[in-house]
Amino acid sequence: MAFYADKDYTTDQTVFEAVNQVMSGNLTLFWYDAKTEKVKGKPTDLRRGLTYKDLDLGSYGYSSIPENLRTSQSMVARGSEKWGNLPDMGYVVNRKSEIWADNVTYLYEEDKSRRWTPAVDVPWSDLDAHPIAAPIEAACSQLYTFLQECALVSMDFAARWVPLVNQDFIEQKSWMCAQMFNWARLNEAFRKRALCGGAGLGRASVSGEQGLKEWLWADSYPKGSLSINLSLGGIVLAICRHVAAFAPSKVDRVLMGYAMQDSARQTAYGSGQLRYYLTHRPAEMSAMQEYVDDSEHVMLALLGSPELIEPLIIISGGGLQKDQVQAGRAAVAKFLRLAISEYFERLEAAGLAASRTRSRIAPVVERISAAA
Amino acid sequence: MAISFPSTDYFEALKGKMTAQQEKFRRLGFIDTTFGVKVGNNGKARNFVLEFEVFDLKNVREVDAIDLKKVDFMIEGDARVWREMIENIHRNGEADSSHDLNTLAHFGEQLKIVYDDPDGHDKLYRFMESIQKFFDLSSQVEVSFS
Amino acid sequence: MAYLSTTNYLEDKDFIDKWLYTMRTGEMDLSWMKAATEKVKPHEANSRRGLTYRDLDLGSYGFTGVPEKVRGNRSYAPRGAEIPAGVPDAQPWVSRKSEVWAFNTESYYEEAVSRQWNVTTDIPWERLDSVELPETIGKALSQLMTFLTEVEMIATDTPAMWLPRLNPDFIEVKAFIAAQAMDEARHTEAFRKRALTTGWGLMKASPVNEMALKHLRDADSFSEMSVALHLVAEGNVLTMFRFSEYLSPTDVDKRIFRLVMQDEARHVGYGMQHFKYVLENFPEKREVLHAHLDEAENISFAGSAATELTESFIILAGGGLKKENIEEGIKITTKFNLKQMEEHFERLDKCGMPERKQRSKLYQMYEMGRAAAEAAGIKL
Ligand SMILES: [Fe+2]
Ligand SMILES: [Fe+2]
Repeated sequence: MAFYADKDYTTDQTVFEAVNQVMSGNLTLFWYDAKTEKVKGKPTDLRRGLTYKDLDLGSYGYSSIPENLRTSQSMVARGSEKWGNLPDMGYVVNRKSEIWADNVTYLYEEDKSRRWTPAVDVPWSDLDAHPIAAPIEAACSQLYTFLQECALVSMDFAARWVPLVNQDFIEQKSWMCAQMFNWARLNEAFRKRALCGGAGLGRASVSGEQGLKEWLWADSYPKGSLSINLSLGGIVLAICRHVAAFAPSKVDRVLMGYAMQDSARQTAYGSGQLRYYLTHRPAEMSAMQEYVDDSEHVMLALLGSPELIEPLIIISGGGLQKDQVQAGRAAVAKFLRLAISEYFERLEAAGLAASRTRSRIAPVVERISAAA
Repeated sequence: MAISFPSTDYFEALKGKMTAQQEKFRRLGFIDTTFGVKVGNNGKARNFVLEFEVFDLKNVREVDAIDLKKVDFMIEGDARVWREMIENIHRNGEADSSHDLNTLAHFGEQLKIVYDDPDGHDKLYRFMESIQKFFDLSSQVEVSFS
Repeated sequence: MAYLSTTNYLEDKDFIDKWLYTMRTGEMDLSWMKAATEKVKPHEANSRRGLTYRDLDLGSYGFTGVPEKVRGNRSYAPRGAEIPAGVPDAQPWVSRKSEVWAFNTESYYEEAVSRQWNVTTDIPWERLDSVELPETIGKALSQLMTFLTEVEMIATDTPAMWLPRLNPDFIEVKAFIAAQAMDEARHTEAFRKRALTTGWGLMKASPVNEMALKHLRDADSFSEMSVALHLVAEGNVLTMFRFSEYLSPTDVDKRIFRLVMQDEARHVGYGMQHFKYVLENFPEKREVLHAHLDEAENISFAGSAATELTESFIILAGGGLKKENIEEGIKITTKFNLKQMEEHFERLDKCGMPERKQRSKLYQMYEMGRAAAEAAGIKL
């Protein structure tokens, strides 16, 4: 796949001549009157700094990106003057509706603003001072093993699409880079947590990973984004909130506090993208609905995987004694209802009406929750 | 002098502390959300709307009723639960793990999160650390309960 | 090109019944509790640094123990976890450690996390309000920023493209690559924002450099990509940032260049360490890398024909368009060009490729350029 320049420039006389001309003081200044818009952007709110929104100006603004990008396939910065022989980078996401969300520029700014550092922002040594009972620690190590699988796949998802997205969607691509970094950081935090309690890692999840791969490998960006950002992001968010509420240690509570912020941004983008897509491409509604019907079983693969559900019961109940397990499964039943109902709320708010009544997984999860 | 809860004075006092501790809130990042706080008492309720912007509480006002279309979400709870939370914050300097907002509201059994739009709901979690630290400022304010 | 999970879990009666049974009775399988994994107890080596990836370099979890050829994991399982039969194949393209590894990768990543900065709020944009640059300087600065905006984003596409292709066992490398993508998005943002605050907006694209960008992305292997991106291109850019900081017309620009420089130095640091590692541990690769460098240097040389960039650099360096400004600008630009090449060969030398100079046409150009500069009385 290597790309080679059109010629050997080191033996090309025209290069030498061009360089000699300029370096002997004969400037061409052909760029001096570039046919571009003259703007001087300013921060509108000094506390916030200079945001991308402040620069949503004329031909440079993201508001004026058209639905179909037909004339930009190179790396040229949106709004600058194109000339000469520009390469085709082979982008395949060239329609705004397939990638954009109205909240994307805000989310990018929010992400940068709300960053954290797992190495120092979590009081790791607290686990040495207040060790957790062995079965709960084992459950934590398993739970955080599972969460690493989710984080890795989410990171791969953003990375997989970034190089395929047209360069004119610069704010969007930047957000996706922020997502990659975000998941790298969560993956790091989950790994550190799993190992620092002393129980080592647990077991990878067959159902979890099979499901994750199906979502990760979705054949279009809008579908994959629905699955990874909205659905998986929503599950991770629900897990973070749940573990924070039943936190067996200060470390878990602090870590999950940050992790819930990070994962909530993913669901916000996932909902925003789905809404934008369905609003601008109403004809795709039924195809999207069908994709959800076909791939929704992955929700079950994840939520029902023993590598998630069993440690959650132990953590929620506080141990392996009968009464603890009893309390644990009651809490997990509530967790399942919460996770699934928020999932339908997001789908419906984004435009997939009647998702809950249509869904075949809703009654399954209800039956299972009711069993507790 | 103790400030009574619930009241706009109480939230104004937290707002003052928040401004005084800009650095801490800056580190936590932008917080752009408007949410409601509903404190129930024997079938009656007092309602407040808190409007956060950038790193500050821009505005707080008491209203007759909270219009869910105009806020991202509303935190609703009995005066007893709010009181317990604030007293816990006072004792510990910050909410302990059974008295933080996330825990109290998790299953909607003590505090309840009510919302019209799930995007608005997600903002609670996107800005959770800032919102929690805001309420944790109660430890620096003398509060009385009517 | 979709993947379908081996099971439709909605139709998997055993799976659902088991889940239902657990929830109804509280009886759990708990076989994961017997996972055949190592028990370790990591500690913060330095409490001010906190718990780092290096502190986790223990036994089967550590990066030190990753074998040259990763045979044991092709799934999404984190390194060191028990991997049951039935997990999917993540289809990694790169499962050979020497193809990706660099001494210190984990520290480069930790440094990236700890040294994140925010273009929006960490640059004193408001100070530009009172700044009115002369037209020549303003336009030259805008042209330079246009070029930099253009090149920075390739450094997100390229690492991002490789990230999902790397075996999940190389978690520290993947994390570093993700952090780099974020750094580069920030650089694009910084330069774009600066161009749009000069009053002139963005200027002309740079077709010659666009060709270089495509070359950077489309490499046959990670190591080749890395040498072209991290060592050649980012090495050049790092030298350019240092000069640009020095030439900056305002303190706002100085601050931008100082901050991007920190990030860039990290990327070059990783690139150098990886280059060293691959040469030492995968000797067969040396010739392949030479061949890739031949092309990278060819394209790098072609960049000198990007008049729009050279001219704006000369104007910024000389402080204007008058004859004496241009003369001064040419002197500084010549020094800069030679410095870029000199540092390039120094890096290769340091990493264990001293023979590069003998083979390289670019090095011949460097020697010619140097002689010409000295003859013209330019002190290097
Ligand atoms: Fe860069
Ligand atoms: Fe870089």
